[in-house]
Amino acid sequence: MLPRSVPKCASGFTRSLPARVHARPFTTSPPRRDAIERDANGHIDIEKLLSNPSWSVTSLLPSKDHQPPTSGVSSKQLHHLLRLSALPPPKNAAEEAQMLSTLAAQLHFVKEIQKVDTAGMEPLRSLRDETAQGEREAELGMEALKGVLEQEEIRGTHHRRIRRKPGGRDGEECEKWDPLGTAGRRMGRYFVVEGEKAG
Amino acid sequence: MQSSTIRTAPSHFARALQCTSPGLIRCPRPCIVAKWLQSRNLTTATPAAQEAIPLRKHLKDEAKRKKADAKRDGNTASTKSGADPRLEKWELTVGIEIHAELNTACKLVSSAPAEVLETDNGGMANSRVAMFDAALPGTQPQFQVATLLPALRAAIAFGCEVQRKSGWDRKHYFHWDQPNGYQITQYYQPFAKDGCLVLDASDGVPALDMQGADRLRIGIKQIQMEQDTAKTTNVGSSTYHVDLNRAGVPLIEIITLPQIHSPQTAAAVVRKIQAVLKSVDSCVIGMELGGLRADVNVSVRERGTSGVGSSYSGVSGLGQRTEIKNLSSFKAVEDAIIAERDRQITVLEAGGVIEGETRGWTLGATETTRLRGKEGEVDYRYMPDADLPPLVIGQDLVKHLTSTLPTLPDQLQQDLQDEYNLSLKDAKTLIDLDNGDRLDFFLRTVHSVTAELSISSQAQIGKMVGNWVLHELGGLLTTHQRSWDDVRITADELRDILVCLHQKRITTRVAKQLLADLFQREPAPAARPCVEQLIETGNLRLRPLSEEEYRDLARRIMDESPEMVKAVREKGQKGKVMWFVGQMVRQGEEGTVEPEQARATIERLMGG
Repeated sequence: MLPRSVPKCASGFTRSLPARVHARPFTTSPPRRDAIERDANGHIDIEKLLSNPSWSVTSLLPSKDHQPPTSGVSSKQLHHLLRLSALPPPKNAAEEAQMLSTLAAQLHFVKEIQKVDTAGMEPLRSLRDETAQGEREAELGMEALKGVLEQEEIRGTHHRRIRRKPGGRDGEECEKWDPLGTAGRRMGRYFVVEGEKAG
Repeated sequence: MQSSTIRTAPSHFARALQCTSPGLIRCPRPCIVAKWLQSRNLTTATPAAQEAIPLRKHLKDEAKRKKADAKRDGNTASTKSGADPRLEKWELTVGIEIHAELNTACKLVSSAPAEVLETDNGGMANSRVAMFDAALPGTQPQFQVATLLPALRAAIAFGCEVQRKSGWDRKHYFHWDQPNGYQITQYYQPFAKDGCLVLDASDGVPALDMQGADRLRIGIKQIQMEQDTAKTTNVGSSTYHVDLNRAGVPLIEIITLPQIHSPQTAAAVVRKIQAVLKSVDSCVIGMELGGLRADVNVSVRERGTSGVGSSYSGVSGLGQRTEIKNLSSFKAVEDAIIAERDRQITVLEAGGVIEGETRGWTLGATETTRLRGKEGEVDYRYMPDADLPPLVIGQDLVKHLTSTLPTLPDQLQQDLQDEYNLSLKDAKTLIDLDNGDRLDFFLRTVHSVTAELSISSQAQIGKMVGNWVLHELGGLLTTHQRSWDDVRITADELRDILVCLHQKRITTRVAKQLLADLFQREPAPAARPCVEQLIETGNLRLRPLSEEEYRDLARRIMDESPEMVKAVREKGQKGKVMWFVGQMVRQGEEGTVEPEQARATIERLMGG
């Protein structure tokens, strides 16, 4: 993890990193002002710099010497969450206690992650081409819709109406598969599901 | 003795009956008698003077009084049921969310077809299902570009701002009609925002809502694209059949601002939205076929207050709202809102509090039923969909669609009234009939008649052509039970008939006969002589009769039916003059008698 401001270094490593890396503050604790010592030529002693870790991944989990972590999640909330996720409820109190303590550890992890300053940043949704060129290529304009517009006709001479010609599916491969092949229970052409008694 | 026929009338009344003449004995309904007795504070020991009043007069008076009472009660009953005084105190606010199926060939994010084609077995259940629709593990969605076209047209028709970039989000909930466990929708960034819908009194908005203005503007908050769910049918007590054909079909959701203040306006808004969507070919399946569904949000507040301070999208000071889901007809929308409004007012007036819950409505019910309370509120855990890239819409496409957008119904209606002098009712009918084909026919006919007659303004004959296209042709269609697609009359033939009529070369009656004749002929050109030929061969040209010929004909008919003459002359039944006119037209040679002149002649002869 690099401190906020990284001066030039003999290896030239930092210069090759993209600018965004420099912009992100990675430290979870404020940067130590006294940390960076330079010799007479302005070079940093890398070994010395890296000898004292300033952060460890173990901080993401609750420390083992403390009590089993409590997260403030009640039993009622646990059941609500399990219901939302369609997971089975705990069979006995011991299993519930186990679930609660796992959940507490997970919440501790999340809280540590949330300490990172992400002000003004859009969350990453997926790895895409976010350049201007990429956006231009993804744009749906007249070119992209040309085939679709050709699938329409005008009806009427004086009162002109647009009508889509039926069945113009661009030659999409008709996936030849049997949807009902995956059915656990079926009746004719339908999937069969058991629900609550109606009414 | 008469008392045996009067089972429950008091004995002294039976004596009153004996006073009247035998022919007028009637069985009085006990209730009238009892009521009369009670109202008159009569006891069994009535003074003899009362019995002398004739029964018939009493009964008549009683009936009159009962009628007057009922009328008074009727008026107060309607106010008691909550129409007037409660609504003076409480104001209704409604917001509507409409889900409409887009007119596309394919589904939103999968490659399966969205429509039933006759060629393949697309009508069978579970035959138009892509692997992603069935949520097979590892399948990915892919946005089908063709679905953008009708969605954009809908957004432009409502005057929305189309967003260049919009996103796709997941709305998670578990249900067997949603195999993926989430619905793909546009929660955070819809593709169109801030439109509006304009209504006026002719759309069904009550005068109170118009508040003296010409038009009512309802704001549209946003329009977003989303997926439809599968279809489930209940068979047996708890068994359901699932058909995934509909899963993934693209919908647009149109969300209005809560600016609607009466149930009739709400129904009018839904009707108008359906009409606009149909006119731009975005959503062509109507509400009655299940292609359009409405959810309404209803709240009430005391007039002049700000309710409980709720607000929605900039409209503030509202009461607590409840949502009624899945209304599937215009009447259901209106009735459900009325029922919910009344229920909320009743609760609030009794000092209770409205909970924000989801309710349902069934046809024929009197009150909405609770589907889900606050504790059952679903946490949808919205998150951006990681598989679908953001939707980027090009400005060139939006411009092109805006410039080629078909005329919207409002504008069409106005044009028909202004340029062709049609009445509002006729204009509306013409626009709705036969998917616009009738209107096209009308316009073609008007233009060609105008050209033929070299008239400068089309308003002069617009009304006449409108009558012929709507009422004459419409009448023939109903009589022969044909649909517009089978109509063989061409615009040219109608033009010829109307031109001849306008130039007074034939009478109206003959024109109608020509129309009926041509209507029934085969479409082959050999079987359809032109109008001129028909007039020639049938000797239908108007040969106007002279004054004397009219008089002769009239006198002949008057001689044949002296009673009718007497009716008109002596009894003053002026309407019967038209009977004479009809007789003259029928008895005269075809195409000779003009009704106006015949009438004038008859009146002169009668009046003496």
